[in-house]
Amino acid sequence: MKSFGRYISKHLVSFAGFILVLLLINVITFGWTFHSVIKKDYGAISPNNMLEEVAAASTLEGLSDEARNKLESNHIWAIFLNAAGETMWSVNAPENIPAHYTVQDVSIFSRGYLEDYPVFVWNTDSGLLVLGYPKDSYTKLTSNYFSIQAIRTLPLYFSGMLAVDLLLLFFAYHLSKQKIIKSTEPIISSIETLSNGKTVSLSIRGGLSEVAESVNKASQILSRQNEARADWISGVSHDIRTPLSMIMGYAGRIADSSVADSSIKEQAEIIRNQSVKIKDLVQDLNLVSQLEYEMQPLHKEPVRVSKLLRSYVAELFNTGISDIYSIEIEITPAAETAAINCDPRLISRAVNNLVQNSMKHNLQGCHVKLSIDCSDTSLILIIADNGIGLSAEKLQELEEKPHYMKSTDERLDLRHGLGLLLVRQIVEAHEGTMQIKSVANHGFTTTLTFQK
Amino acid sequence: MDHSFLHTKKIMLVDDEPDLLKLVTNILTDDGFENIVIAASVKEGIAASRNEKPDLAILDVMLPDGDGFLLMEQMRSFTDVPIIFLTAKDEATDKLAGLGLGADDYIAKPFMPEELLLRVYAVLRRCYKEDALLLKLDSCTIDFSRAEVNRSGEVIPLTAKEHTLLEALARNEGKIVTVDALCEALWGDNPFGYENSLNAHVRRIREKIETDPSKPVALITIKGLGYKLNTRK
Repeated sequence: MKSFGRYISKHLVSFAGFILVLLLINVITFGWTFHSVIKKDYGAISPNNMLEEVAAASTLEGLSDEARNKLESNHIWAIFLNAAGETMWSVNAPENIPAHYTVQDVSIFSRGYLEDYPVFVWNTDSGLLVLGYPKDSYTKLTSNYFSIQAIRTLPLYFSGMLAVDLLLLFFAYHLSKQKIIKSTEPIISSIETLSNGKTVSLSIRGGLSEVAESVNKASQILSRQNEARADWISGVSHDIRTPLSMIMGYAGRIADSSVADSSIKEQAEIIRNQSVKIKDLVQDLNLVSQLEYEMQPLHKEPVRVSKLLRSYVAELFNTGISDIYSIEIEITPAAETAAINCDPRLISRAVNNLVQNSMKHNLQGCHVKLSIDCSDTSLILIIADNGIGLSAEKLQELEEKPHYMKSTDERLDLRHGLGLLLVRQIVEAHEGTMQIKSVANHGFTTTLTFQK
Repeated sequence: MDHSFLHTKKIMLVDDEPDLLKLVTNILTDDGFENIVIAASVKEGIAASRNEKPDLAILDVMLPDGDGFLLMEQMRSFTDVPIIFLTAKDEATDKLAGLGLGADDYIAKPFMPEELLLRVYAVLRRCYKEDALLLKLDSCTIDFSRAEVNRSGEVIPLTAKEHTLLEALARNEGKIVTVDALCEALWGDNPFGYENSLNAHVRRIREKIETDPSKPVALITIKGLGYKLNTRK
């Protein structure tokens, strides 16, 4: 989710950056477009420059030829007034320009226009120089005053305005980011759930409802596929059971037969033992797939684990185990009364898988110790043997490599049984934890911890 | 324990798989059962249970004209015969459905012949007690019908609790019975904290049935688990 927030910020920041670049481009284009006009109208022939130049070249009597030529070439007319308002001389002055001016006339045209010509005045020692530019070449500000107060307030006003604008922009950015995250959050988290292979059901109104629908559809497809896969496995395991019963049954009958000779009985015994392995595999496979796709309803009830463990071990002894294995059970007084909410059948199955693993991997025989201890909040079930254990590499492999049931990597070693995977799933279904410890030649210990 | 007295019981098998019917029939007859009735459908099963009046029914869950649970429901309307289910379906759901309806036990396919026999005997023994149940131990004989121990001519009476305890052990003769199961047999559900009382009862029983109560050979302790009753070989 954090990455999504960053993603939005990144995009909004780059959007802001783009706006800045756009503004810069506008300024440059503006400058480039108006460059020639500005150069001309605010350059050498601008009123300021011309006034200065012409004033320097003019006296009461007249104007230098150079200045006169320049005025003519730029279509600017000029008149020179003495202190009494009389025109002393003129250059190209239009005919409707009067020759005499009162103080009122001067004060009015000096601020604006003379017969619609924009005029500019320059005070010299001898008189007043008036330049008339062609009509519509310049516009003049006739009300040429500003309030000092206003000008003083202006910087403060602009910076304040800028700050407020920025703040509002940031708020708008923040709000829209929150809104986007809020409306996309359920979608993102459902996609995350989907990517873990779990199913989701999403309900969103508004613009993103179509996305939600697609996610739901994907989830339905996923759950249908999971269901189909679990059903398929359960169907196959179901169909195998009846024929396997017969193989096991008849192999057992031959093995225990009083008329068959010993080599035939031996072979029948092998068939029986191997079919027991198929039986275990079929049962494990079915349960693993049911748990994996959450198709197995847990029948949880408060269970005294001490009782469960005793009954499991008694059953194990009663069905008969080889003398090379010894089994010990140790329950602390506190653990004796401890009960956890669990599916007893599954917990027995997990314990059985671990005990069977110990026996399977220690054909020379071993001692298996089952113990229960408990703390204030948890119950600890330990299944430990003193057999050949695992090397450090093998242990790491066992803990880190995904099981082939859960991986699409075809190179994975397929020799791992389902036993330990099933134990892990059962423990996870009970929100417990599982820890494996082993040292080569010093046994294998599995610790299961459950919340009380 | 000798269970040959159960071999005269009539057992009905209902399964649509002829090979499996043959296998189960073989397993049962080889072990001494004399009366086996077979049926291949719900309809045949009902007819057979009406006509033959079996003492035990072993039903497959999947039948061509319905399922075993339906068959049991219909049978229950006219008979209380003990029923064991045989099923290839997944354990969890079926076990609950079967036992909830009042089945006596349940065997998941694939099964070992010994497992089948074990369950058949357990159910039969639970439902049909031997008329004069005598249990022969190393140094004495227990007469359950009279609640007495007969030790070389001397008759020692058993208390009700001792009788119950010995009966629970005798039903599982040669097998370990956990302290939990024994306490349950003696004091009912959730009998937690009765271990000391159980020990006391065991001690008193040993005084009655063992030659040397400090070195028991018949009623032996399995450390951490429970007790086991050994009969005379």
